[in-house]
Amino acid sequence: MLVDLLSSQIVRTVMLGAALVGGLSGMIGVFAVLRRQSLLSDTISHAALPGVCLGFLLVGGRDLGAVMGGALFTGMVAAMSVLAIGRLTPLKTDAQLGIVLSVYFAIGVVLLSVIQAMGGGSRVGIATFLFGQAAALSVHDVRILGAVFIVAALFLLTLWKEIKLVTFDPLTAEALGLPVRHIELGLTVLLALTIVAGLQMAGVVLMVAVLIAPAVAARQWVGNLGAMTIVSMLIGAFAGAGGALISATGRGLATGPIVVLLACAVVLISILAAPRRGLVWQALSAQLARRRISGDRVLLAMDRLATDHDNPAYPSEKGMLETMLGRPLPRVMRRLEASGLVRPVAHHPESSPHWVLTQAGRRRAEALRRTGHGPE
Amino acid sequence: MAAGSDLHEPGLALHIEDLTVRYGATVALWDIDLDIPPGRLVAIVGPNGSGKSTLLKAVVGLLRPVAGHVRIFGQPISRARSRVAYVHQRAEVDWDFPATVLEVVTMGLYRRIGWLRPVRKTHRRAAMEALAEVGMEAFAERQIGQLSGGQQQRVFIARALIQQADLVLLDEPMAGVDAVSEDIILSLLRNLRDRGKSVVVVHHDLSTVRRRFDWMALLNRRLIAQGEMHDVYTPANLKAAYGGQMAVFADTDAEETAPSERVGGQL
Ligand SMILES: Nc1ncnc2c1ncn2[C@@H]1O[C@H](COP(=O)(O)OP(=O)(O)O)[C@@H](O)[C@H]1O
Ligand SMILES: [Mg+2]
Repeated sequence: MLVDLLSSQIVRTVMLGAALVGGLSGMIGVFAVLRRQSLLSDTISHAALPGVCLGFLLVGGRDLGAVMGGALFTGMVAAMSVLAIGRLTPLKTDAQLGIVLSVYFAIGVVLLSVIQAMGGGSRVGIATFLFGQAAALSVHDVRILGAVFIVAALFLLTLWKEIKLVTFDPLTAEALGLPVRHIELGLTVLLALTIVAGLQMAGVVLMVAVLIAPAVAARQWVGNLGAMTIVSMLIGAFAGAGGALISATGRGLATGPIVVLLACAVVLISILAAPRRGLVWQALSAQLARRRISGDRVLLAMDRLATDHDNPAYPSEKGMLETMLGRPLPRVMRRLEASGLVRPVAHHPESSPHWVLTQAGRRRAEALRRTGHGPE
Repeated sequence: MAAGSDLHEPGLALHIEDLTVRYGATVALWDIDLDIPPGRLVAIVGPNGSGKSTLLKAVVGLLRPVAGHVRIFGQPISRARSRVAYVHQRAEVDWDFPATVLEVVTMGLYRRIGWLRPVRKTHRRAAMEALAEVGMEAFAERQIGQLSGGQQQRVFIARALIQQADLVLLDEPMAGVDAVSEDIILSLLRNLRDRGKSVVVVHHDLSTVRRRFDWMALLNRRLIAQGEMHDVYTPANLKAAYGGQMAVFADTDAEETAPSERVGGQL
């Protein structure tokens, strides 16, 4: 069945469109995440709904150009409303965004109901903008998406180092004399454009996740902005194409939620498994550090006993060490033996285990004493 | 306020006249007149919220004053950008940003490199030299998120050094940094001054300011005093700037400084 699906021209078109949307979102989402604009993104995408409806009403049907135009218009008006509320009221940013999001979304839902009550062929298409339906993408739509993708990529490429500095450190960018306001405006317009381009596939409700998730996942794996942007773009494209394919297999299955679930699965894997930043890695290295520390404590304790008895080859007894360190030590001692820092010895007539520091063990204990990285 | 009044504008590293800056209804700076001679290591000192950061931001044009003007070597900031380097407080950026130490230092050159031009080998070499000056060349390829506070601060200072500015402004470069970094930063600043540069530092610690700087401006929304350290560092001036908060400072000083340096001892 998968082969049948993939060989269908329609499915391939839809998957290409969804991959473009996902890739675009992944690419621009990096900057939304780093500039802490995920709530703003959510507001713009919810506020696009009334614009979608207006576009629908104006051309009397589902035309991606008209819908995107309307969505971009109300999305940007909403973003400006946030700015205005910030200037005129003492409300905190999250409250400003929350209010604007709800008001515009409510207007959108009212318009949506009105359009659906009007009946006719048009009403079938419009509800898909809530949760997204990639299957509605036509070849013409894919061309529009491709154009938006190219515009976004060119913008990033031409202004790459300036955008990097403005994203990381806008104060310094401004002190150096870069036109920070203009670059930020460019990025915000691009963000709005990306959101409205993604609405048909992902829907207004979940679009923000398509934007944010790939960037969050990508950050786990790489440590430079260029690589992060590319990896995020690939994750977004994968989630988009995969989501479109899966939703094509089930009748009427909305695309948005599937894409989001795929992208979030990648996020989950990345948070767990990524080197250095991943939880598994961190747990393992914490464990290694704990082992090293407990080994170090034993070495220091043996060193102290040797000093106290004025005998570098003093055989430390198991029970004595366990008393000093307050816990049982069999595994630590085996690790220390394996790394050649201590050596088991017999201490006649006692039958309990004893160890002495090897040459290497004495050196390490001495280093620990000098640098002070030890117990107490 | 008498110390700098006989100097003329172009001969001054920094000339500030009638400067007033507001955030909405909050007046952060009121009618500041400040003249900083070139080639000095200058401390801007005042209690929390006294407008020290605001002053630096207004000087580099990040804030638009409601009144007054600023001249740098006689010129407005718009024409003096290439002669000024500004190091803001460390916490103003997100250190989890994906970038290496070397990359951040080259950012100081972005404007000089110009639009549409990539960062080249010569720029990276200049950045390595700046990193060597702050003792961080071994960290060039390190992620900035893995640095300690003092190392972060040194990276920012390297980014300022690379700009080869004549006036360097730093906002609390020694706050929350380790002793090694503090020594390195201090000797770098002295070195800059000895090379004829003008260095203006917002300094948070009254107990160390007298030893470390040779010129001082005391600020508390208004300018309290300015001039040579030994003229300005007087109990009366400090009291005028810090008022009732003095006791707090005297207490913390006791742990950190030799008795002769204690502000409490002076009062
Ligand atoms: N962005 C801002 N918006 C509103 N008030 C601010 C802002 N930045 C600073 N302030 C206020 O201006 C005053 C001076 O702040 P600042 O220059 O940061 O002081 P300092 O650096 O001396 O601690 C303080 O009262 C502070 O609360
Ligand atoms: Mg400050």
